[in-house]
Amino acid sequence: MHETELNDLSDDADYAASIQQGSPSNSRGDSSRRSGPIELSGAEVVYVKDNVAIHPTQYASERISGRLRLIKQATSLFMTWIPYKANPRGYESTGLGQSSQSRIPERDRNLYTIRAVSFTEIRSIRRHTPPLGWQYIIVVLQTGLAFPPLYFYNGGVREFLATIKQHVPLVRSADDANVFLVNDLQDPLQRSLSSLELPRVVPVSNGTPPLSPFSTDENHGSINETVNDWGHARLRVHDPARDISIQVLEKFSLVTKFARDTTSHLFGEVHNDVFSGNVRRPQIQSAPVIRDNERSDTKQESVDFVPVTPDPFEVDKISLVWGKPRQPPLRFDEWTIFLDSEGRITDSDSLRKRIFYGGVEHDLRKEVWKFLLGFHAYDSTYAEREYLAVTKKLEYETVKCQWKSISAEQAKRFTKFRERRGLIEKDVVRTDRSVSFYDGDDNPNVAILHDILLTYSFYNFDLGYCQGMSDLLAPILFVMRDEAESFWCFVALMERLGPNFNRDQNGMHSQLFALSKLVEILDSPLHNYFKQADCLNYFFCFRWILIQFKREFSYDLIMRMWEVLWTYYLSEHFHLYVCVAILKRYRKKIIGEQMDFDTLLKFINELSGSIELDGILRDAEALCICAGENGAACIPPGTPPSLPLETGSTYSHQEDEVL
Amino acid sequence: MSYAYLFKYIIIGDTGVGKSCLLLQFTDKRFQPVHDLTIGVEFGARMITIDNKPIKLQIWDTAGQESFRSITRSYYRGAAGALLVYDITRRETFNHLASWLEDARQHANANMTIMLIGNKCDLAHRRAVSTEEGEQFAKEHGLIFMEASAKTAQNVEEAFISTAATIYKKIQEGVFDVSNESYGIKVGYGGIPGPSVGRDGSSSQAGGCCS
Repeated sequence: MHETELNDLSDDADYAASIQQGSPSNSRGDSSRRSGPIELSGAEVVYVKDNVAIHPTQYASERISGRLRLIKQATSLFMTWIPYKANPRGYESTGLGQSSQSRIPERDRNLYTIRAVSFTEIRSIRRHTPPLGWQYIIVVLQTGLAFPPLYFYNGGVREFLATIKQHVPLVRSADDANVFLVNDLQDPLQRSLSSLELPRVVPVSNGTPPLSPFSTDENHGSINETVNDWGHARLRVHDPARDISIQVLEKFSLVTKFARDTTSHLFGEVHNDVFSGNVRRPQIQSAPVIRDNERSDTKQESVDFVPVTPDPFEVDKISLVWGKPRQPPLRFDEWTIFLDSEGRITDSDSLRKRIFYGGVEHDLRKEVWKFLLGFHAYDSTYAEREYLAVTKKLEYETVKCQWKSISAEQAKRFTKFRERRGLIEKDVVRTDRSVSFYDGDDNPNVAILHDILLTYSFYNFDLGYCQGMSDLLAPILFVMRDEAESFWCFVALMERLGPNFNRDQNGMHSQLFALSKLVEILDSPLHNYFKQADCLNYFFCFRWILIQFKREFSYDLIMRMWEVLWTYYLSEHFHLYVCVAILKRYRKKIIGEQMDFDTLLKFINELSGSIELDGILRDAEALCICAGENGAACIPPGTPPSLPLETGSTYSHQEDEVL
Repeated sequence: MSYAYLFKYIIIGDTGVGKSCLLLQFTDKRFQPVHDLTIGVEFGARMITIDNKPIKLQIWDTAGQESFRSITRSYYRGAAGALLVYDITRRETFNHLASWLEDARQHANANMTIMLIGNKCDLAHRRAVSTEEGEQFAKEHGLIFMEASAKTAQNVEEAFISTAATIYKKIQEGVFDVSNESYGIKVGYGGIPGPSVGRDGSSSQAGGCCS
């Protein structure tokens, strides 16, 4: 597979280059670096441009500079963009006194790396040559996803395009002189219109379900796959219904606007820069060494790690079509920066955002989850939390006493209690027993699960106990390792998810309904297929939603998924976009195999354990942003996990039935 | 693997009566006491032979708790057979049978074959429902009846197979239009079409699609 070789080549060559730049200490545990033999045969670098940068934020100081290259191997052309290794000696600061805020961790920088993407995977290149500021390009992939804008600090866009044209067919789009279509021999206009499989207005008649022309191969549908894993260009057949994808291009214009704003912002800075006598140069400050397994790394000396500075003005529209790269989980030293001297989290939005994109390191979860779940208020102080812990522990004991004190004689006359207790006893021994924390006979943690659930069924007697609750509680207890704390975290979670367990299933039905609406706007062919196959009740997603994907992922991954969902950062209903993202990944199979309700349900069930979490989160992010207000409008007010709109009894009185 | 027919089964009954364990014993021939509780529905499949015909059973194992009923009901759609399970050591699971039966009658097709199973018969010392009561209930409601143990595997094979045999017999008698999949039956490759299906025709339409 020559792409792999090429990847190795570019990677290693770049590594070698970075060593020459004098940063041998930056030996991060980047798994993508391969130590295999350097394969030079047949590959030729046909274009090199230094100081091509990505701007993860609006601030020029946070740009990531790198080297853009075009590499030809046999008849194939590849593009790579590799960020420079951060090197304190290699670059000058802006001289504007913002150096301390401009550090981007090495690991974040590397997330943007473009490794040997083949031009067969590239649909188009959009060129921007603003009169003031730097030229940049946006590379759009066949999948409709795009890389962040690449800024040419030293110019060279024209040369870049000219070089491409020498090796692969490149034509100017008929509808936009700044869009260049790659490998588009037939119909440039149509080609430029086909992009994401997004909303389509042209209905597909029942008799002719939409098939492959608009399908995304589930393995290739997302940018988060490593680029060299991608397959070759897929033939696309023109379909008028695809023209609606022009909406996507309109979305792109938002990116353009962002890029323009960014550019003028940058220009302002450059102005200052010029006045202060500095030469324009990449300004990446020394990024500290972050090792993937820093816990085992005792030699790490650089502790003055500064996280990506929370920036309330950062324009997230930039992630519109691709979903941001996932970040490494929040670490302890980074976490402490969010706390003021008395322990308040002053900028909870930034914290939630940080967790949304990277999750939390496991050892930190016990602390952070209490905030995410709402047991602790973000603006509480250390002292207040300490006090709360004491009083809540007592309160828990009081509620627990309510059932603990029921004698055998009393229980005989208390059917509802016996039933609940019986159900819980039966279920806790059927919950996560394959996880070592809960395995084995007479495991005390199983007994704690039991006590918490029974106490909860008294604390919230109207809702009681329902199957699925033990699935939600088990990872919480696993993280908290404390009965009372776990109880209150579970209470906080159930404030949002309680309606999932209503006997009338209204909470579930409203979410399934919202999901069907979201699929309708985000993937109308799939929606039409479900309609025709009589699957619009979306019961096949029931388990996903009821217990927040708990059964679909391993413990490690479900904890990550949950903390991302619990940030409620982009949407309170991000989980529904996750559902859409998963369905979209498998849409080709679902539609192609003409799955009926039974087959679909079985198929979805069997996806358990095989869903790629990070990729799905990125897809969901992109979908959520693309859907925007239209997406939010699909979700009726009060749909879980929204907090109840009014106080008072959340749960209609429910007949306990132990059927 | 090719089959003459595919039958869809559904297993219903109170939570904790051993539905998932019966399924696992039948499909995998093992007893797993620490199986995770079922959320929604799970699946199993196995080939059996009736009258020298390979028959594939696709079995849907449902969640037992009442709160899931409104969802579970949708799974009755197109089931040819149902195993209605209670636990002989818990009287209330027997008392709830009528309610389950009502659900089944209301949401399944009228010709669905229902097998009543009194599970956990290995726990005879804790028995709370007599064999006679089970028999009586089955007789009153026109069900096939068996006591079984998912733990020891006693009667598990028999329960699934005799249900299939009953369905097969109904096909032979022309009770079903097997070309109509809403009866929970699909005709596979190599199947001998039932009396209501033309010899030349539709016998291969659904082969292998649910493997």
